[in-house]
Amino acid sequence: MVMGVDIDAGPPPCGETAVRALDLCKQIDGRPVLRDVSIDIPEGRFVAVLGANGAGKSTLLKVLATLVRPTSGELEIFGRRVRGDAGPLRARIGLIGHQSMLYRELSARANLVFFGRLYGVPQPAERAMHLLEMVGLSDRADDAVKTFSRGMMQRAAIARALVHEPDLLLADEPFAGLDPPSVLALEALLLALHEAGKTIILAHHDVDQSLRMAQQAIVLRQGEVVVDRCTRLLDSTTAIREMVTA
Amino acid sequence: MTTVLRQVALLTMKDLRIEARGRQTISLVAVLGTLIIAVLGLGLGPEGRVGGAGATAILWVAYLFGGVLSFEKTMAVEREEAAMAALLLAPVDRGVIYLGKLIGNLALMLALAAVITPVAVLLFGFDLSAAPLAFAAVMVISMIGFAAVGTLFAAAVASTRLQGGLLALLVFPVSLPLVVASTQVLVSVFRDGEPLGGLGLAVLVAFDAVFLVTSWLVFECILEP
Amino acid sequence: MLEISRKASAAYWMAALAALAGAVAMLIYYTPVEETMGPIQKVFYLHLPAAINTLLAGAAVFAGSVGYLWRRDLRWDDLAAAAADAAVILGLVVLLTGMVWAHSAWGVWWTWSPRLTFTFMLWLLYVVYVLIRPSIESADRRALVSAVYGIVAFLDVPLVYLSAYLMPQDIHPTSINMVGSMKLTLAAWFVPVGLISAGLVVARYRARRRARTQETVGCRRPACA
Repeated sequence: MVMGVDIDAGPPPCGETAVRALDLCKQIDGRPVLRDVSIDIPEGRFVAVLGANGAGKSTLLKVLATLVRPTSGELEIFGRRVRGDAGPLRARIGLIGHQSMLYRELSARANLVFFGRLYGVPQPAERAMHLLEMVGLSDRADDAVKTFSRGMMQRAAIARALVHEPDLLLADEPFAGLDPPSVLALEALLLALHEAGKTIILAHHDVDQSLRMAQQAIVLRQGEVVVDRCTRLLDSTTAIREMVTA
Repeated sequence: MTTVLRQVALLTMKDLRIEARGRQTISLVAVLGTLIIAVLGLGLGPEGRVGGAGATAILWVAYLFGGVLSFEKTMAVEREEAAMAALLLAPVDRGVIYLGKLIGNLALMLALAAVITPVAVLLFGFDLSAAPLAFAAVMVISMIGFAAVGTLFAAAVASTRLQGGLLALLVFPVSLPLVVASTQVLVSVFRDGEPLGGLGLAVLVAFDAVFLVTSWLVFECILEP
Repeated sequence: MLEISRKASAAYWMAALAALAGAVAMLIYYTPVEETMGPIQKVFYLHLPAAINTLLAGAAVFAGSVGYLWRRDLRWDDLAAAAADAAVILGLVVLLTGMVWAHSAWGVWWTWSPRLTFTFMLWLLYVVYVLIRPSIESADRRALVSAVYGIVAFLDVPLVYLSAYLMPQDIHPTSINMVGSMKLTLAAWFVPVGLISAGLVVARYRARRRARTQETVGCRRPACA
C-alpha cells in the first residue's frame, strides 16, 4: 500500500477505453467554448490537459465528468454511451473542481460521511476517517469546513472526490492553494492512484509538472484540440507555444 | 424504491442538520414574518377590525415573504462551495434532489407558520376556535403547493447573481390561486359555517398535484452548474 | 423565417389593418346596439377575441419553453419571449376593455369580479415573464429560468381561472342576448385580432433573432450553428 492506495491492483489487462469523445461541442450563451473535441483515452492512462486561461479546460473536464451536457457530439465513458442522464456511470467518476463542493456548515468528517452514504459506500464512517488521514486532516476532522484555510479545503475536496473510489478521476487545477509539502503529497497521491490502475485526467497550469506526471498530453486552444500526443514526444516549450494563437 | 427513500432521507437530514447548526434561516424568517405582521398591525391600528378574509391575507403576506426568503437561503447553501455540483456528480436521480430540498423547505415553512400564526392571532384577535383543524389543513395544503413551486424556481435562479427580488417575482404570481382559494375556503368555513370542501379545496389539491409532478419532471432539466 | 421580404411583411400588415378597418366599420354601421348595456357593450367584440388570443399566446410561450428545455436552442427561447410580449400587450387590451365594460355596467372602473380578477392575474403572470428577463445577464440562464416560468405559468392558467371564479359573483349578471348579426360581428373580429396577434409574435421573434449577434462557430455539426 502506498499512501493508502493498493498499487498491487495494477493496470487493467488490455487497453479498454475509459473515455471516448467524438466532436464534442459546447456553447455557452451562444459562444462556442469547445469545438469539435475528439479524444480517446484508454483505461489506466494519465492525461494532462493544457491550455491558456479560457481555452476550455474546465468545461471539457465538466463535460467528461458528465456534469455538463455538451451542445452536440458523442461521449462514451467506460464503453457506455452517455446520453442525457449518466446515472449509475457517475459512481465511477470523481471530479475535483475549482470550488471544494463541500457544505461549509458541516465538519469535514460529516461531509465525507454524507457523500459516502450518498454513493452507497460500505462503512462510510471508516472510509471518511481513512481519507482524512490520507490528506492530513484527521486532527481537524470535526471542525466545520468554513473554518478551513484554502489549502485545507482543497485537501478536503480531494478526499471528497475520492470517497467512492472512482475509476476515472478528473482534476481541475487541484494544486491551486496548496503549500509545497501538500503539492508533493498530492503529486505522490495522483501517481499512486495511477499505479493502481485509475484513469486520471489532470488540468494544470504548470506545464513541466504536468508533462512529468502524465503519459498523454492534450493541448486546448480556444476550445479546440491542437496537440494530442505522448508526453515522451512533447517538450514544454512546444506545448506552451501551441497554447497561444499563432 | 428503498434507495430513493434512503437518498431523500439522507438529503433532507443533511439540510436539517445544516440548518440546526446555525439556526440562521429559521430565525431570520421568523423575525421577518413577525415584523410583517407587526407592520400590518400598526398600519391598520386598533381601528382596523380585520375580518375573516383579512386574516388570511395578513398571514399569506407573511408566509409569502418568509417563504421566499427560506427558499433562497436553503438553495444558497448549495451554491456556496458549489456543493450542488457534488450532488449532481453522485448517482442520484435529480427528482430525488428536488424531493430532499422540498421536504426541507416545507419543514421551514411549517416552523414559520408555527411561530407567526400565534403572533397574528394574538395581535389581531383572530378567532380560530370555530374550526382550527380546517384552518390548519387548508394552510398545510397551500404550503405544500407553495413550497413545490418555490423550490423549483429557487433552483432555477440559483446561479444568477441578482437573486434578491427575482425569486419573489417568479413565485408570487404563480401562487395567487393558492392565496385566493385558501382565503375563499376559509371564509366559507368560518363566516358561512360550511364544512371543509368544495371547489376551493379542489383547486388547492389540484395545484399541489400539478406542480409537484411538473417540478419533479422539470428539475432534471434545470440543474446544470 | 428571417428571410421574409419587406414586401411580404408590408402586405401582411396592410391586410391586417384592412381587416381591422372592416371590422370597425362593421361594428359602427352594421351591429345593432344591445338593449341593456348600450353602445359601450361593443367593446366586447374586441374583448373576447383578445382574450382568446392572450391564451393562445400563453400556449405559444409554453411551447417555446418546452422546446428550449428539450433542445437547448435559443431560438425556442426567442419564440417564447416573443409570444410573451404579445401576451402582455393583448392581456392589457383585455384588461382595459374589461374595465371599460365594468364602468359602463356598474359605474366603477374596477371590481374583484371573477372575470376581471382572472384577467388581471393572467396579465400579471406574463408581465412578470417580460420583466424578469433583463435581470439575468447570461443568455442560457435567462432562457432556462424563463422556460421554467413559461411552463409553470401556463399550467397555472386553469388554476387561476378556477380560483378567480371562487370570488363573489358579479352583482349584475352579464349575459347578453346575442342576435345573429352580433355573432357575425364577433366572428369577424377574430380575423383582425388574430392577424395582429400572430404578426406581433412573428415580428418580435424576428427582432430578437436579429439582435442576437451570430458568431461564426468552428463546429462542423449544424446543431452548433
